[in-house]
Amino acid sequence: MNAAAPYLEFARKAFSREATYRVEVFTSVGSFVLRVYLLRSVWTALYAQNAAPAGIPLHAMITYTTVALLMSLVLEVDGTRMIREKVREGTIAVDLMKPISLPLYFFSDGFGQTLWNALLILPSLACALVLVRIDLPSLPALIGFALAFALGYGVNFFLNFLMNAVAFWTLETFAIQLMVRWVSDLLSGQILPLSLFPGALGKVVGALPFASIYSTPLQIYIGQLSGYAVFPALLTQVAWLIAFAAISAAVWQQAQRRVIVQGG
Amino acid sequence: MVVMPIIQTRQLRKVFRSVRRIPGALGAVRTLFSRDYVDRVAVEGMTLSIEEGELVGYIGPNGAGKSTTIKMLTGILVPTSGDATVAGLVPWQQRQRNARNIGVVFGQRSQLYWDLPLIESFELLRAIYGASADRYRQNLDHFTEILEMHEFLNTPVRQLSLGQRMRGDFAAAMLHDPRIVYLDEPTIGLDVVAKEAIRNFVSEVNRERGTTIVLTTHDLSDVERLSRRIVLIDHGSLVYDGTIERLKDQYGTHRTLVVRLAEAYPEVKVDGAEVVGRDGDVVRLRFDRGAFGADQLIRRVTESYCVTDVSIEEPDLESIIRRIYIEGYEPTLTPRAEILPHAVS
Repeated sequence: MNAAAPYLEFARKAFSREATYRVEVFTSVGSFVLRVYLLRSVWTALYAQNAAPAGIPLHAMITYTTVALLMSLVLEVDGTRMIREKVREGTIAVDLMKPISLPLYFFSDGFGQTLWNALLILPSLACALVLVRIDLPSLPALIGFALAFALGYGVNFFLNFLMNAVAFWTLETFAIQLMVRWVSDLLSGQILPLSLFPGALGKVVGALPFASIYSTPLQIYIGQLSGYAVFPALLTQVAWLIAFAAISAAVWQQAQRRVIVQGG
Repeated sequence: MVVMPIIQTRQLRKVFRSVRRIPGALGAVRTLFSRDYVDRVAVEGMTLSIEEGELVGYIGPNGAGKSTTIKMLTGILVPTSGDATVAGLVPWQQRQRNARNIGVVFGQRSQLYWDLPLIESFELLRAIYGASADRYRQNLDHFTEILEMHEFLNTPVRQLSLGQRMRGDFAAAMLHDPRIVYLDEPTIGLDVVAKEAIRNFVSEVNRERGTTIVLTTHDLSDVERLSRRIVLIDHGSLVYDGTIERLKDQYGTHRTLVVRLAEAYPEVKVDGAEVVGRDGDVVRLRFDRGAFGADQLIRRVTESYCVTDVSIEEPDLESIIRRIYIEGYEPTLTPRAEILPHAVS
């Protein structure tokens, strides 16, 4: 029996758990298509008034927003959300009495959910293609995108982990979650390409860790980053990933020492 | 070779520190910035040793520090001072390794996975503990049998009744053959039949597998039924550690003779006994069992009164323990040093 076995099992269970909520497939595909339609309308209307901002043509902009929405199907899964519930209800104690690493448990549970949600990409994309045309990148760009996406997925996991780990100190994290979520939606490039931010602001936003989550993979996808320019971008992601992992490890050490289970 | 106790604690102490709350609406804001702390001692100077294969009742009123002790022994709470080893490991330093040796059942908190059928929780646990397929199968079959889990193995946990869920939790805690099992209020809220099934199971596991069991409970009938040794704590400190019989010997100095009178006597008086209750023709007489035997008292009663029925009530554990909580343990009755060493061998 190898050490990875429990975590594979967690991922499998999370996958089949998600699969039991069948109605959600329709609602999430439905809301996805609606959002694609809305964004297409908004951008088409804006482009009719102005020239292409930051040199992004309309078809690239629609590709960007549609792919961003597809990515969000997977990135909005938060396997660490259960930290909050577990700390509040005190069930984290039961988990700590098991011979497992809890961060890995959260990650694998989230990963199982992610795999299920990744399946939703296909029907979502199929429906979206009725409404919009999206560009397909070259093969190297696609590989770069996949790499950047995987790195962004990691950064996103640790960001969620850190936010939820606040529960160990305050037991209530809703306000913080909401704030970080808003900031992250805007600064990660999920809603707008970061190249639309003016001058110095754009530089600052581009250097923040949030950019690793959506902006870097998407810039590679639509060709804003290509050739050798891709490498420093990927390295920046790696740097953020390592930094966030290190902070998370430190925070987890502290959190573990602090476990004060409510009640009992 | 000296055999080490499987659980050993020395001067274990846990203090919880919290910010002192300032009353009032403005106080709530000031509390946020306050550096004024209140310390609450949850466990104080706990020195305890438990041998492999023992079944110990760990008793105390609410807030006495029972759960805090268990949490330290399971490695999820770091003590303020003192030390402890469980099967040779320091639990809070080697949490994951310690977790392999232990099983835990909380009456109020399930370790089963809410949305999964019971059997899938078991499979997940097998993966977690890396138990061999054969051993797992064997244990599962055995537990399914004695806990009668056949009908609900494939039911999602959230649809189980409390009694079913508890049986599931017990099986879940024992599937990986733990050496030590902590039971925290395991029979709370269960009906008589389910309680009995659980007690039989615990007793069997302890007897057949030699599993060490620490049973924390309010329900003293659990303890009386299952364990010989009890550890009594109050206000975080150890109050008594020894056999139930010994506690009864020391504290249950009085027995009660219950007499049903054949005629309506206006007043009942018996030499050497105190009338502690009267309900119609039933009279309760308390007497010191050191002074004379029940036969003597019965003779005295029947000499003066016409009686249809007599019975004797032994002091029950609950009233003894209640008395200790109220009055404190009297070490003068028996020198404490005599009680402290492992009374059960």
